Amino acid sequence: MDRKMISYQGAKMVLSLLAILTAIQAAAIITQAYFLAQAISSLFGGDLFLNVIKDLLIFLVALFVRQVLTVVKKNIAYDFAAKTSKSFREILLEKIFQLGPRFTREEGSGQTVTLVMEGIMKFRRYLELYFPKMINAALIPGILVLYIFFENVRSGLILVLTFPIVMIFMILLGKAAKSKADSQYESYQMLSNHFVDSLRGLETLKYLGLSVHHIEKIAWVSEQYRKTTIATLRIAFLSSFALDFFTMLSIATVAVFLGLGLINGSMELHAALTILILAPEYFLPIKEVGADYHATLDGKNAGNKIQEILNLDSSLPKQETLAPWESASTFTVSGMSVRYSNEEKTGLSDIQLSLSGSKRIGIIGASGSGKSTLIDVLSGFLTPSSGEILISGKMVTSLCQQDWQNQITYIPQQPYIFHDTVLNNIRFYHPEATFEEVEAAMEKSGLKTMIDELPQGLETQIGEGGRMISGGQEQRIAIARSFLGNTPIIMFDEPTAHLDIETEAELKETMLQLFEGKLVFFATHRLHWMLEMDQILVLDHGELVETGTHDELLAKRGYYYQLVSSKMEGNL
Amino acid sequence: MKKNKWVLPYLKQYRGLLFLSILLGSLTILFGGALMFTSGYLISKSATMPESILMVYIPIVGVRTFGIGRAVLSYLERLVGHQFVLKILSGLRVQLYKIIEPQALFIRSRFGTGDILGVLADDIEHLQDFYLKTLFPAIISLIIYSVLIISAGLFSLPFAILLGCLIGHILFVAPFVSFLYFRGKNKKLKHGRNQLYQQFTEAVFGISDWIFSGQTKTFVQRYEIKEQELLKVDTQKQSFVNYRDIMNQLIIGTIEIVGIYWASDLTVSGEIPPTLIAAFGLVLLSLLESFLPIADGVSETTSYQESLKRLDSIQINNMSKKEIKAIDISTSPIFIDLNNVSFGYSDKLLLDDFTMEIKQGERLAIIGRSGTGKSTLLKLIQGVLSPSSGEVKLNGIDAYQLEPCIAKIMGVLNQKPYIFNTSLLNNIRLGNPDASDEEVYEVSKMVQLDEMISELPQGYETNMQETGQRFSGGERQRIALARILLQKTPVVILDEPTVGLDPITEVKLLQTIFDTLKGKTVIWVTHHLIGVEKMDRILFLENGKMAMAGNHSQLLEHEERYRRLYKLDRPFQKV
Repeated sequence: MDRKMISYQGAKMVLSLLAILTAIQAAAIITQAYFLAQAISSLFGGDLFLNVIKDLLIFLVALFVRQVLTVVKKNIAYDFAAKTSKSFREILLEKIFQLGPRFTREEGSGQTVTLVMEGIMKFRRYLELYFPKMINAALIPGILVLYIFFENVRSGLILVLTFPIVMIFMILLGKAAKSKADSQYESYQMLSNHFVDSLRGLETLKYLGLSVHHIEKIAWVSEQYRKTTIATLRIAFLSSFALDFFTMLSIATVAVFLGLGLINGSMELHAALTILILAPEYFLPIKEVGADYHATLDGKNAGNKIQEILNLDSSLPKQETLAPWESASTFTVSGMSVRYSNEEKTGLSDIQLSLSGSKRIGIIGASGSGKSTLIDVLSGFLTPSSGEILISGKMVTSLCQQDWQNQITYIPQQPYIFHDTVLNNIRFYHPEATFEEVEAAMEKSGLKTMIDELPQGLETQIGEGGRMISGGQEQRIAIARSFLGNTPIIMFDEPTAHLDIETEAELKETMLQLFEGKLVFFATHRLHWMLEMDQILVLDHGELVETGTHDELLAKRGYYYQLVSSKMEGNL
Repeated sequence: MKKNKWVLPYLKQYRGLLFLSILLGSLTILFGGALMFTSGYLISKSATMPESILMVYIPIVGVRTFGIGRAVLSYLERLVGHQFVLKILSGLRVQLYKIIEPQALFIRSRFGTGDILGVLADDIEHLQDFYLKTLFPAIISLIIYSVLIISAGLFSLPFAILLGCLIGHILFVAPFVSFLYFRGKNKKLKHGRNQLYQQFTEAVFGISDWIFSGQTKTFVQRYEIKEQELLKVDTQKQSFVNYRDIMNQLIIGTIEIVGIYWASDLTVSGEIPPTLIAAFGLVLLSLLESFLPIADGVSETTSYQESLKRLDSIQINNMSKKEIKAIDISTSPIFIDLNNVSFGYSDKLLLDDFTMEIKQGERLAIIGRSGTGKSTLLKLIQGVLSPSSGEVKLNGIDAYQLEPCIAKIMGVLNQKPYIFNTSLLNNIRLGNPDASDEEVYEVSKMVQLDEMISELPQGYETNMQETGQRFSGGERQRIALARILLQKTPVVILDEPTVGLDPITEVKLLQTIFDTLKGKTVIWVTHHLIGVEKMDRILFLENGKMAMAGNHSQLLEHEERYRRLYKLDRPFQKV
């Protein structure tokens, strides 16, 4: 029994309700069998059909009650599953937003989407199936066999004895199948993923001239896969074979002993028939536990995965009231470090930094130098392991502060364009902005010509499935958002890394206008931006190795100088 | 439903297994029925208190045989069914691959960024369920149905007809109504799910925007409203199933009563002995149960249609089979010649009357904004596309005709080379499957990977997928470069291989690339000016035309625009 299940809200209530209904259901099953047997044995004894109609009607009513109870139980489980998964989803969504982009990047965006969309659905299905099945298996066989004991001890004994045998064999064979599957797991995974791997790498295969002959390989691997799978299934199916075999054997034995009992006159036909009808019912709930095996397993795993995420630490720091950033504002970081649990990743160590007003701060360093970690800390996506941050004299432990984040516009390498109109994309941060305000922002960001050429202008759909726009235009939309919001802080994370040099040149003019009067953080590999910066932070292996203006740093002939000259050696 | 291509041929091809599986399935159910029948007969016969146990010896043996037989048959049926389905899966994979392979280079532009290939692979797996959960049970039910009606008909025609109608309700009416009802609901659900998917994908990709704009609460609320709408549809489906199931069960109960009435009638008229009443009652109960899952199986067919539709959508008809020219020009120097090449549609030409020659060993850089025809130009040279007018020739032969063996002439290093889920050694060896281990070591050394590899615990046997995270972007490019070196082509196309790398990594990688590709023709699409000094020719594309061309010093001397760009890209260079 999955212990966690009980801990969900309302689970105990649901469980007891289901238990009561199941007990009534078991009584209905017995009634059904009893009256059917009675009708048949009366007819056998030579009674007229008219005289047994009453019995048959009771049989029908009992059958009806039983089915209605099944439906009621299903509905209870359904509602419970829907409610539980809804609250799970809400908490999960909030959690994901709290964990921020670092989490989705590490977990993989696709993975996160699949987990929330499919994972929750599987989990719901699991909750839905699990309770009724468990309660059925726990109660129905017991109640039925009690009744059978009451009618005929020998049959009861046969059925009770079969139960542990079935269980032992199912467990043993299940284990055998699992160890067989485990021993082949690696090759099995390889074989089953080979096809998707081939399809995804098809372009590369084509370039290498291998794609045509690869068909033979796919056919061969698929055959291998089939053979391995069948070999595993041969054992895996044995477990349900054992269930079937012992069930059938047990019913057959009961029937034979009932027959013997009848021959020597120690029992009556009515009782024998009742037992014979009940015997398959006795095994049915056990069979059902095994059904939907995969749905159950998937749902359980999804539930565990969700729980894992919910257990991640994302406690919000104490929220401070911070004044809007202005020319007199100051920002000081001292002794700030970030340590990752994963040793392979460099964090940040002992960062000292102080700046004020509308400065332009360049952030530079090779990959793995801690640039994105620093940006994440500054954006409030990551809480430093130690150190102090002072914003205009107010101390905070993390920049995950509503008042800080609301002042930031974030412009990454590829700004996300929502599947919506150009208008709504520009005013994403400020849905209340008027058409005129958007037009003004659009003009400043240099989007006017492009939008004027669009058939529906600002109302044109862009984003996934909409009209395609180029990387430079995507950046301009992000810039327009920033012009519209007029936030005092802008965070650039490699905004031009994937753009061609001419597009970048044009964009630079627009961006420089946006910088006016703002605090700008600008992380990039493109060194020409450094000329525009008031202060450059040079990072190497998680340390802030140098800081100063371009000229100061060049004069130092330190790490920055090396970086710049490596670029100068770009002529190889 | 266009089943023809993805379903029917396989049914024909594996009809032996299909037949066997259905036979075993039907026998399983019939044996179950026979077990209950003989049991009923056995105890009724015993109730007449025969003098000797030998009188019921045959039914006793029957009960055991049918009991054990059923279990064995059911086991065999499942194995045969899966054998059949896995054979079909093999076939479907090859079929899908054959369709996708010729259009490999277009898939990305045709289907966008989504993982269409992963989805198609899933679709094929999904078709398994069609056989196991819908087709087999449906056919088996029909067989049981016929057996039941025919045997009833042997005794009484009116009863057979009545039975036929009642069971027909479970077997035909309920599934048909479910199918109709579910079709609408599933469509709604599917549509809603897709919308949710899109909404949520946007939330994940634009997560920073949601956080900074302070709108996360709004998002969760909006998302939940949509979820609740879908839940409503789900609940409607659920209660439909509930009503249907109760209905079906009541019908089973009714059939049971009718069956008993009929059996007692036959006993009264003396046509059958009273010992058979219980047998008939029990066999009906057992067989009728087997009809119940059909409704669910049939109503799920809508989801298979979805998969089939998607599989059909990847079909393209205009891929005419190309004649493979048996020309081995891989050893000879390659002379590439583009003559007045245009490509595109009348309103928008991606390439406009473009003429260019590339000699063996020449190094050419191509620069231009996105959408100026860079990738079209590459595809034309590779012979993947055929020009709308003009000609693209490699040593005088039409590139489009050479395409089937183009991999002997050109290697391609693109932005994201695919690393396969196999060992490092095998990944590199893909460049030339006949290469010896020593050759692989040699090229690894050339691309300066040997040190890194020797530090790995499993060296060249390291599996790439598991440790994929450990390899940086630069290292992945080097692995792909090693492949190309094994491929030994006279021409190499570099399609922005350094995007996203930091300047130090980029410069080092370019150094390695140009060192190792000495003597080969290099056609390099790049988006900035690092490394262009090494090129024999730099070509600026604009609106499908050559905007400027020349080597670095020529351009620097004559072109103001180039000077400006160079100054921007290399601000600290003394020009």
